[in-house]
Amino acid sequence: MKNYKNLFPIFKNNPDLHYLDSTATSLKPQVVLDKMMDYYINYSANIHRGLYPISERATEEYEKVREKTAKFIGAKKSGEIIFTSGATDSINLVANGWGENNLKEGDEIVVSIAEHHSNFVPWQELAKKRKLVFQISDLSFSEKITKNTKLLAINHVSNVLGTINDIKSIIKKARTINPDICVVVDGAQAVAHISVNVTDLDCDFYCFSGHKMYGPTGVGVLYGKVDRLVQMNPVRFGGGMIKTVDLHNSTWADTPEKFEAGTPPIGEVIGLGVAIDFINEIGMENIMVHEKELIEYLFGKLKGIKWINILGLQNLVKLSERIGVVSMYSNDKRVGTSHDMADILGRKFNVAVRAGHHCAMPLHTKFGIKTGTVRASLGIYNDKNDIDELIKGLKHFYKIFNS
Amino acid sequence: MDDIYKEIILEHYQNPNHRGKIEAERNVGNANKRSSNVSLRSKVYVAGEVNMTCGDSLKIFAKIINDKIVDAKFEGGGCAISMAAVDMLLDKVIGMKLSDVKKMSGAEIEKMMGVELTPSRKKCAYLGLEVLKKL
Ligand SMILES: Cc1ncc(COP(=O)(O)O)c(C=O)c1O
Repeated sequence: MKNYKNLFPIFKNNPDLHYLDSTATSLKPQVVLDKMMDYYINYSANIHRGLYPISERATEEYEKVREKTAKFIGAKKSGEIIFTSGATDSINLVANGWGENNLKEGDEIVVSIAEHHSNFVPWQELAKKRKLVFQISDLSFSEKITKNTKLLAINHVSNVLGTINDIKSIIKKARTINPDICVVVDGAQAVAHISVNVTDLDCDFYCFSGHKMYGPTGVGVLYGKVDRLVQMNPVRFGGGMIKTVDLHNSTWADTPEKFEAGTPPIGEVIGLGVAIDFINEIGMENIMVHEKELIEYLFGKLKGIKWINILGLQNLVKLSERIGVVSMYSNDKRVGTSHDMADILGRKFNVAVRAGHHCAMPLHTKFGIKTGTVRASLGIYNDKNDIDELIKGLKHFYKIFNS
Repeated sequence: MDDIYKEIILEHYQNPNHRGKIEAERNVGNANKRSSNVSLRSKVYVAGEVNMTCGDSLKIFAKIINDKIVDAKFEGGGCAISMAAVDMLLDKVIGMKLSDVKKMSGAEIEKMMGVELTPSRKKCAYLGLEVLKKL
């Protein structure tokens, strides 16, 4: 197996770190940090309308990332790419900018039970505010869709189950029921692990964060089909998003500037551009091969531990239809909960995993899990040794409670 | 043996002394708001807290006579640290005045448990005391 750890400076400073929390945020390669530092020390000017060279350069670098992002996810035009502060921000923009403007009392919206709170609560709130009918679909995603369903919000990849949803056929099916349905896809967990082509998926909106794809925090992306962006109102007002302002009224700049009020995270957008290059240079195929080998290794090891249950495994799909995310819990009442497990893994083994509901309480409730699960998730820098340490830690944990 | 998951903590987690419920003799409420004519009677107070993000939920029942905790039990679920801490805490506070319990600090909980906790685990360990302070 190829070792990618040397591309990530955190391992120089923490050589014994076994980082299995890429779902929460991925680590950052040196190239991303270098490029951001380059902006901050060589041309850290504000973008747009600066007539001096370093501002021109910053603007150019910033806009280059928009094109790169469009190409990365298969958008037709760079104008379909809006920079936000993250997936949560992107989804809220759709809910408040598109939803507020296009949904009316009695309209149905469908959200899946497996959504991250970021793709659940904004819709729940919008439904209350606009008196929409809020429907929750199960893991089959489409059973609640009727001809009155105006919006469907679903994840491309579940941050708890790691399952890759067949978005293309879900959307196709939804459109046979209501051709005008607006489909919002939460791609936060997809973009770093599988190839994404929004044009092929035929989604209306696609949302993701930079920090989960080897990029910096503070930047995210909203892709919107041109027709949908036309229907969307800006929700943040200020500099950079206007065309004219007089004492009583203002007019808006064109998309995408219309939705990017205020100074954007320039250094972070530039960093995101390098994160895309980083993924492209390794190659999504290679990333998938690398992670698949680890997923098989991880599942093989976990299956050998009788007291561990894997959340949702029975509903699931082949290993080829999932990314490297596994949420587990103990089926032995004597041992501690997910918190105890993650604490021992972290303190004793330097294995970084996450405990709790992973911002997906409805899904945990569906599976009857009260005290959460421990989630281990993989990135390009992981190797079999990281998984061996996880397994060692789990066995140690069990022994503590059974000695 | 782990430095936090010591035998005594595991013992309280796996074989708690105070799991259960005390049936209310009358309706429950805030102990501070008792009217003077019932203050000498024993009453059962209930307080609870949930920490949804980590899944801890806790309900404490306390029988109180004239500010003195004469019996206490708890229900709920959560990590070993939070559940052991509650059980140990109830061992300690039965017989104490509620007003004194309300003056207890988090540091006393760690001392009682004989462990030093990381910031995130302090939250677990203090859950029981937080609930007692609501009584
Ligand atoms: C599936 C999914 N959607 C949305 C989000 C929210 O991303 P962010 O916190 O970067 O806005 C996450 C992050 O955990 C996620 O896993």
